[in-house]
Amino acid sequence: MTAVDLGEGRAGYREAVWSEWTKFRSVRSTVLLAALAGAVLPLFAVIVAATGSLQPDDTILGASLLGGAALAQMLVASLGAVFVTAEFRSGMIRSTLTACPRRLVVLAAKSTVAAGAVVAVCLPGAVAAHAVGLAMLDRDTYATGDPFPALLGVVLALASLAVLGVGIGTVVRHPAGAVAAVIGVVLLPGLLAPLLGAAQRWLGGASLSGVLQKLTQSSDATHEAVGSLGAWPSLAVVAAYTAATVLTAVWVLRHRDT
Amino acid sequence: MIDVADLTKRYGRTLAVDRLTFSVRPGHVTGFLGPNGSGKSTTLRVLLGLDAPTSGRAQVNGHRYDELRAPLREVGSMLDARSVHPGRSAADHLLALARSNRIPRRRVDEVLGLTGLQDVAGRRAGGFSLGMGQRLGIGAALLGDPSVLLLDEPVNGLDTDGIRWIRTLMKDLAAEGRTVFLSSHLMSEMELTADRLVVIGRGRLVAETTVARFIDDNSQASTLVRSPQAAELRAALERTGASVEADPGGGWRVTGTPAESIGDLALAGGIALHELRPLRSSLEDVYSRLTDTSVDYRATEAMEAGR
Repeated sequence: MTAVDLGEGRAGYREAVWSEWTKFRSVRSTVLLAALAGAVLPLFAVIVAATGSLQPDDTILGASLLGGAALAQMLVASLGAVFVTAEFRSGMIRSTLTACPRRLVVLAAKSTVAAGAVVAVCLPGAVAAHAVGLAMLDRDTYATGDPFPALLGVVLALASLAVLGVGIGTVVRHPAGAVAAVIGVVLLPGLLAPLLGAAQRWLGGASLSGVLQKLTQSSDATHEAVGSLGAWPSLAVVAAYTAATVLTAVWVLRHRDT
Repeated sequence: MIDVADLTKRYGRTLAVDRLTFSVRPGHVTGFLGPNGSGKSTTLRVLLGLDAPTSGRAQVNGHRYDELRAPLREVGSMLDARSVHPGRSAADHLLALARSNRIPRRRVDEVLGLTGLQDVAGRRAGGFSLGMGQRLGIGAALLGDPSVLLLDEPVNGLDTDGIRWIRTLMKDLAAEGRTVFLSSHLMSEMELTADRLVVIGRGRLVAETTVARFIDDNSQASTLVRSPQAAELRAALERTGASVEADPGGGWRVTGTPAESIGDLALAGGIALHELRPLRSSLEDVYSRLTDTSVDYRATEAMEAGR
């Protein structure tokens, strides 16, 4: 055979992350969704502060982050879903799986890249949003709230949601179906929980929006609405069901013909 | 080296591959022939670990595909359907695949040159013509300089130049000692490109042999003969027991007696010959006769099943 010197080969997790990052940055949809998710955080803070749309008992932290985070949730959830469903729609998934046949490695790498991209754009976005709130709102009227580590928590919650999008996208495969399903996961707890009486705080407390309310010390985070579980344990609950979804997706990918 | 042993693949109630056994050796271009729906693509997908076999095994270089440490460096593959994100450029598509197996970036440029795509490397693959898409697929298959190539219908959509390019490329790769396995339903193409054949029909093995053997074994030798004394010649031939039919192009088509004997017979009878030409069936003829049988068989079986 002709000797083409290609060095030592390996198709492990590190290589898969490199590959997924190359895919992520070379397509318009994923880059655009990530950029938007980062941008809506400070933009929304400007709108809230300029219009004074907050309750007297709100914190500046909560007011400057919650609205933007609610929008960013939709965007990062779609990002995760689109990142994987585009491969099913185009058949690219076959190229991916022949290059790296280990399904767990492929989904771990995709999740890493989706979460990493969200952290990279949303952390500066969240810090900027908080800075906007501090600059534009009156600190004597409103409590400032404790920004650290709450800001980090908000960003991690968004990253976790992008990973949930990857997991749901793998199971559902169809782009529109996956985006609808993952947005349902984001919105439904907030719509259903108030109908459930005493059980409201159980559902609300484990929902993403509940976690965000708790982290930002929002006035909405009442005991009746989101339960008594602390912000970080709630985030751990969200991370746990995200991990469970991804593992389910790995199982599906192993047992379904592609 | 490709080994398929007792492979069965069932989708629900449909039996796509039925106890298929064959092997493909290095150093040859081996054609994988079968009509549409005969199980070629399914077999390739199982070999690539995309579909799970119902039973039996399919191995490349002695391993199941998912056991390969860096698959692209051992097996280059291209499936029938285009497996490329339409919004990504050709160069980025190849780069993403290269990185997944730690293949150096310079190899991407080499492959773009090798496939003649260097001028469109930055363009979105979604805008590619069928032929350019096919070249990109072959580029992806060559990326890891693999010892085994599995290509599903590689000449689909290519123009004459493209077909000639693939044909030469495949022969060169085989001559370098690689295992080259191409599926096709284009018999004429296989006759020119392949030297060995695996023929399947309805998910079962029909033949595993060389192209020359396949034609010899399945063709009926016949001879075309023309003479101004046509009736006399015919009578003389029929006396020897040969069967004689009129050829649509004029002259007699003789089976059951070799060309040499026809010449001797004419000389002995004082009959002038204007043409004496042995006819070989082309792979196309042989193949369509075989698949006709399998289509007939299928219809009969379906009728019996319906009773």
